[in-house]
Amino acid sequence: MKTKNSRSLENISTLRSKVSASAVGKLYHSIPISGQIISLGIVALIFSLGTNGQFLHISNIMTVLGLSAIPMILCLAVHQVIILGAMDLSLEGIVAITAVSAGLLLKNSVTANDVGLWIIPIVMLIGGLAGLVNGLLNTKLRMPSFISTLGMSWTLFGVAIMISKGSSIPLRDLRFQKVIISEFLGIPTVFILAILLGLVLYIMQNKTKLGKHMYAIGGNEILAKQAGVKVDRIKISIFGLTGMIYGLAGLLLVARLNSSAARYGNNLLFPAMTAVAVGGVSLSGGVGGALNAVIGTIIVVALNNGLVLMQINPYMQSAVNGIVLISAVALTIDRNKIGIIK
Amino acid sequence: MEKKKIIEFKGIRKVFPGVVALKGFDLAIYEKEILGLVGENGAGKSTLMKIMTGNYQPDGGQFLLRGQPIVLGGSMEAIEHGIGMVFQEGSILPNLTVTENLFLCHEKEFSKGWFISESAMVAEARKALEENGLDINPTTLCGNLSPAQRQMVEITRLLWLSRLYRHENPILILDEPTTVLLEKEIKTLFEILNRIKEHATVILISHRLEEIIENSDRIVVLKDGDYVTEMPGKAADIFKIEQLMVGRDMVEGYYRRNEQVDPTDTVVLEVKDLAIESILEPISFTLHKGEILALVGLIGSGKEELVKCLGGSMQATQGSIYRNGKRISIKQPKHAIAHAIGYIPIDRRIEGLATDLDIADNINMLVYKKLKSRGFINKRKERDNANHWMGVVKVKATSHRMKCGNLSGGNQQKVVLGKWLSADAEILIVDHPTRGIDVGAKDEIYHHIRQLAKQGKSMIIMCDTLEEDIGLCNRMLILKDGKKVNEVSCPPDAKPAPTDIIESIV
Repeated sequence: MKTKNSRSLENISTLRSKVSASAVGKLYHSIPISGQIISLGIVALIFSLGTNGQFLHISNIMTVLGLSAIPMILCLAVHQVIILGAMDLSLEGIVAITAVSAGLLLKNSVTANDVGLWIIPIVMLIGGLAGLVNGLLNTKLRMPSFISTLGMSWTLFGVAIMISKGSSIPLRDLRFQKVIISEFLGIPTVFILAILLGLVLYIMQNKTKLGKHMYAIGGNEILAKQAGVKVDRIKISIFGLTGMIYGLAGLLLVARLNSSAARYGNNLLFPAMTAVAVGGVSLSGGVGGALNAVIGTIIVVALNNGLVLMQINPYMQSAVNGIVLISAVALTIDRNKIGIIK
Repeated sequence: MEKKKIIEFKGIRKVFPGVVALKGFDLAIYEKEILGLVGENGAGKSTLMKIMTGNYQPDGGQFLLRGQPIVLGGSMEAIEHGIGMVFQEGSILPNLTVTENLFLCHEKEFSKGWFISESAMVAEARKALEENGLDINPTTLCGNLSPAQRQMVEITRLLWLSRLYRHENPILILDEPTTVLLEKEIKTLFEILNRIKEHATVILISHRLEEIIENSDRIVVLKDGDYVTEMPGKAADIFKIEQLMVGRDMVEGYYRRNEQVDPTDTVVLEVKDLAIESILEPISFTLHKGEILALVGLIGSGKEELVKCLGGSMQATQGSIYRNGKRISIKQPKHAIAHAIGYIPIDRRIEGLATDLDIADNINMLVYKKLKSRGFINKRKERDNANHWMGVVKVKATSHRMKCGNLSGGNQQKVVLGKWLSADAEILIVDHPTRGIDVGAKDEIYHHIRQLAKQGKSMIIMCDTLEEDIGLCNRMLILKDGKKVNEVSCPPDAKPAPTDIIESIV
């Protein structure tokens, strides 16, 4: 089946044209994320040589998958907005507010609350509402999404610090942590959860009207509107959906550490964005999908895991990540569509 | 056989602030015909189209569709009533497949519950494309199609939609459909349109009269928002239509012809064998001090590209340019500016003017070096320079700090002119100086052009109409299909007749 994700490759046309029409070339074209799979292969090769095979040991692979789960969920969230051709930088703020809310509403050592499993719809509701506001600011107030969502992030982070009084809240409900650290057939449960979410989004993107219209908006919002796409409604829903997924990720973070604090949201945006770009979701919109988000996250996490195993200087690791982000964007962005680069 | 009327306009009228776009005329459009609609810019063609597609509401008169008066709220509503328009710039999304583009917003026809059946969509797309005789793979991305193929996909989409809404005789409007196509593709387009005609009405807007004549069953001429006449296609005479479109004979004194001065013998610019691969064949000409040289030719004649080479926004593949006898190379716009060559583009809002900035900023844009004192830009010098040139070109504005976006078209054009004069441009390339400007302001622009020539500035002009070219210039170069075909002198007392010139253009 021809999928949306094959689009991600259109931009890397130079790379594409170099692959001949041979059998290998045909195979390359028939797999929508073949470019990313090759990148992952290169990362694996370099690090398994550098670590004498330790990198590819089954226990390390499971570690990588487990580590990639939450970044993957976040990447799956933010890539939806990027497909629209918009930007969402509110990730850290929404994760902070939902993490703190989860900490205060679950059984904890600061308040007397205990909402139990109700926390799942609650965090999704909080995240979803914040996302809806993002969508409304973008569509109704016609604000550039990258700046309005940045403002949203700082606002919510501030609120999260205020209601948590700036301290961490230890949990007393161990059920969630149990699920998070458990394994199913040797695979971390939380990773399976992330993959399931990816699957749901993949089906939505390829098999539903909402999905088709998302790509139309990402391609050209004005033309999409002309054709009758309900642009505002779809953008608001996608921003809302993205917020809901952030909320879920916030809860998972809290569950994993069995405590909660506003700062749990910090430093999550950068890996998610890098994964989006590395996976081949074009920042100019309309290209790439859930498959790209999944593979992108695995590449980024594997890269960082490899750097740690090889005991590379941590500052060097940060620089490598920055270079990876810039190179990935340089390869995937559609310059014709942006016109003037601001 | 009497054909049935599908659309009828009765006393149709549309007024914009300051302009009457449609003066209230009657026009009938029939089933199963190709109607060619011709007229100059501003004749009312596009206003009429936008009423048909529901983008404008008429201010007076009636719009009858299939015998019923109708009010359309927008292009989607028009499509539901079987009226579709193929826009010049196209409305195909490049990141979607042919199938997805064809059925965008109508996916529910292929849905089972929440999910869309991709295979049903592709099958229907294949069928729809085959019906129109198109050999396009429905699963290719539209970004990989040629402009012609994209146009075909759009046409297929409109026809499919009109069938979806159960319209017997859909109406297809094509606005300048051939500008982006190659010769061979144009032929295919008209073959397809002639086939579509068997069950649809096609309305064709084009500047290429020969195309209209060859392919229309009927040609309607509009002028200044009014219906002039109509005639059967095929047999129509191109010169006759051209005359009807322009309407007026050359009036003595028009275009400030009495102010025309003879150029001096000094050659300020010489072009030798300049060529652009597959666009322009080697061309040579000279420009004298104080001369107005008109470049005349249809779209695709290469004149646009030629001036772009002189302005630095395009590169010639061979040939040389001499300025005051010295060979120069113009690789970027800044090189042209350095050689005192100014370019006043056709779309001043996009290329000529920073509409978000004020008048002073625009006029001073190229000369900030001159406005410095002690290393910093001097506010007073800035104001004085702006006011000086505003006075020279007579910009009507309350202050030099007025935002250019708020000025009228004529005043904007004067600001652009002021900018180049302030930068001491000796040669001005003026691309359609009077486009979108009302009659009074046009005359002022003509006056400025004459004044500049008198002061010894040289100009290369390309005008909206042939009359304007003839009226303004000292000499004209006629280009056709990338070749210089003729050079005609236009002294004030012996201007050539437009009909003589058209022969070499077409």
